[in-house]
Amino acid sequence: MSNEELNSPGYEIPPELQGQVAVTTLDRIYNWGRRSSVWPMMFGLACCAIEMISAQAARYDMARFGMEVMRPSPRQSDLLLVSGTVTKKMVPVIVRLYNQMPEPKYVVAMGACASGGGPFKEGYNVVAGIDKFLPVDVYIPGCPPTPQALVAGLIKLQEKIDKQSIKQVRWYDKKNKADSVYVPVPVLGPDLIDLRRVDELKEIAAPKPAEENSEA
Amino acid sequence: MNGKGILKGLSVTAKRFIDSYLEDVRWLGKRATPEKIAFRSSKDARGTFTVQFPEEKLPTPEEFRYIPFLVYDEAEGNKEIRCTSCGICAKVCPPQCIWIVRTNDPETGKPIPQPAEFYIDADICMNCGLCAEYCPFDAIKMDHDYEIASYSRNILNLDKLMKPASYYAEIRPLNNRREEEARAAKAAAKAAAAAARAE
Repeated sequence: MSNEELNSPGYEIPPELQGQVAVTTLDRIYNWGRRSSVWPMMFGLACCAIEMISAQAARYDMARFGMEVMRPSPRQSDLLLVSGTVTKKMVPVIVRLYNQMPEPKYVVAMGACASGGGPFKEGYNVVAGIDKFLPVDVYIPGCPPTPQALVAGLIKLQEKIDKQSIKQVRWYDKKNKADSVYVPVPVLGPDLIDLRRVDELKEIAAPKPAEENSEA
Repeated sequence: MNGKGILKGLSVTAKRFIDSYLEDVRWLGKRATPEKIAFRSSKDARGTFTVQFPEEKLPTPEEFRYIPFLVYDEAEGNKEIRCTSCGICAKVCPPQCIWIVRTNDPETGKPIPQPAEFYIDADICMNCGLCAEYCPFDAIKMDHDYEIASYSRNILNLDKLMKPASYYAEIRPLNNRREEEARAAKAAAKAAAAAARAE
């Protein structure tokens, strides 16, 4: 973003001052810093990861958007690129990694499998879309998306960051504490159990009064 | 001698590396004009270069496949969709991402060969192109537009899927010419058979 774009807070600045001072809003400068240093986590799941590596390499070079530093630790990354098929065995790990990321954090579902399950959407061991567990910011279709499609999706993410407000983003929102950024880690048992749905599941599993009468 | 192959490979990489600087010297001080971009992504350019993506896009090969789209013909301002809602594409689709709702005549209740609703879940589609292979009416084709990432699930409806035949001719000129010829030959054969029957 050039200085001209940053320096347009919606207030009128006298022309003689325009070259001397930079007047901006906190949101604008916060978003500018955010969008220019989105560090993805070094984390690949399946074949989409190959395209992610290709996008990161010199030919497409995500460094042009400030995304060159792939962090091998969730503690230092801002972006979780879910690149590939999410199996039920992998979901607890992914959710744990997401919880360990410091705010602000973004999730991009790359490819058909991560966005909606793809060809395995009805598979016994595949989660039909990571959005069942994590709040996804950008969905990139394709099987797999080409590096250019991935970069187009990441530009879309930057556009989303540009529109955010420091007062309304999820992680600084004091009012809706219930919608916290922490996602309970799903339990891998005989089947995958989402801890947010325990009450609902108990209700379904509870014996119905009508059934008891019919048995007796 | 061992390690000859490695040295050979490394020399190729080194040559590319040096060549890309030599190429930069050749274009010194010139801005990124369309000619420069076209030359640098062609096979004649020496060295390898970063694709400056949003400004510079690699030319997509004709057989590049992304999400399918529906072709319509423009006849006197009307959009005549080629799809007859036969459902072959939905049947052959390996991940089952196509839903079609057939149009019925409101008076007689008989089906009209036209889709009332047509959905493709782009987040399920695996870009295999089987729908386009099997379609007997050349109605569904694979698109080249890959910049369709969005903030919500991509379930494409009829509005988003419909694209004119001229667009198809633009992105796949060779395929389009071959199909047009086949259609013309078929129509001619049909006319000849009708004429023979009339005699």
